[in-house]
Amino acid sequence: MIFQKAKPVLDNELDPGGVSGQNIGDEVETVVGPSVNVEGDFASEGNIIIKGTVSGSVHTSKHLTVERGAKIVANVRAASASIAGEVKGNMKIKDSLELTSSAKILGDIDVKNLRVESGAIVYGRITMPGLEGIEKPGRSSKTGLKKNEEVILSETI
Amino acid sequence: MYVYLYDNFLRHKNFVSTIRQMEIMLTDFGIAGKILRIQNYTDSKAIIEDEIKRGAKTVVVVGNDSTFGQVLSRSATCDCTFGFLPVGPNNTIAEVLGIPAGVDACTTLSRRRKEFLDIGWMNNRYFVSQLHVFPGKLEVIYDERFKVSANDKMEVVVCNLQPFFWKRDKNDKEQRIVHPQDGKLEAFLRPLTKKGWWGYNYEEPSIFPFEEMVIMAKEPFTVEADGKVSKEIKIKIKLAHGKVEMIVGRNRQF
Repeated sequence: MIFQKAKPVLDNELDPGGVSGQNIGDEVETVVGPSVNVEGDFASEGNIIIKGTVSGSVHTSKHLTVERGAKIVANVRAASASIAGEVKGNMKIKDSLELTSSAKILGDIDVKNLRVESGAIVYGRITMPGLEGIEKPGRSSKTGLKKNEEVILSETI
Repeated sequence: MYVYLYDNFLRHKNFVSTIRQMEIMLTDFGIAGKILRIQNYTDSKAIIEDEIKRGAKTVVVVGNDSTFGQVLSRSATCDCTFGFLPVGPNNTIAEVLGIPAGVDACTTLSRRRKEFLDIGWMNNRYFVSQLHVFPGKLEVIYDERFKVSANDKMEVVVCNLQPFFWKRDKNDKEQRIVHPQDGKLEAFLRPLTKKGWWGYNYEEPSIFPFEEMVIMAKEPFTVEADGKVSKEIKIKIKLAHGKVEMIVGRNRQF
């Protein structure tokens, strides 16, 4: 609703790198521009685009976009996210997470759907639901799996 | 009963014919009323309260964005319905309210489609259209939760009804426009980065919707709210929900 008249101009403006690859221009509500520093509990009901630096915590009930060059030193909670910048902190994503080639994640990820482009760097534990009842390799059948399957990545993907 | 507040610039010959046509149309609709002319230093609140005592129910502002801001920043708390007849240039608020410029606005006024509008509150006074904090070393705290700062100077524009227009730099021919949404105030922060010895470059703006915000600085900064300029060291900006009852058009943007 914010960008009613100048839709085409602002879409390009807000997502110049096309990081997300998704059509979220209409719903953009909060934009943290480059050379802006945000400290504290950064929460929003709408979509968030981060191009600057954020420290503390980030929470949104919609989509989070972290653009190339942006830096987050915080725990992140969002419905979905696409990351092209740097995140230091744990991420809890309800739906889907997309890591582009320039993404750097230092922390644990809890997500339903994950898409990782070649070149992305992840250092942390990735937890995904949906593997209940499947045996972990190398363990006896007596050892039941916990609720979520855990995969630990500590190298460049 | 209707009371019409005319801005002083409407005396100019360019607007005489439009005003005449409007007055004829208003008489045809049976909503003609008392006409008062406001000057730069007129206290619109005192005038409106006086007219309400005499039985006025609807106060119609005739002019442009600055007239609208001048009247409503003072008299937002008055117990009456407000109308707006946009005349002349600089009429961006009318567009948001869905009121066509010129004579057609009389038809919108006569239909009396009413809405309650949210307005901004800043250090004990209201602002309707826009609040502009000129570049300075500012610190902004949103909803007492997070703090926003820039490496150097920063400019803040808080929009309520008036859209935010901006350009990348002086040479940028394309004017970008962002329309504010209702129910929240929108803050546009533009950090400035040094260019050469004296110059500054504007960075891309950050956009934050909010309900309460505090802007502070170590040195006094200049604030312009609805055309009124003042120097402040700390300002608290809030959103006052449904303060003004306003006659709006069908094509309103909220």
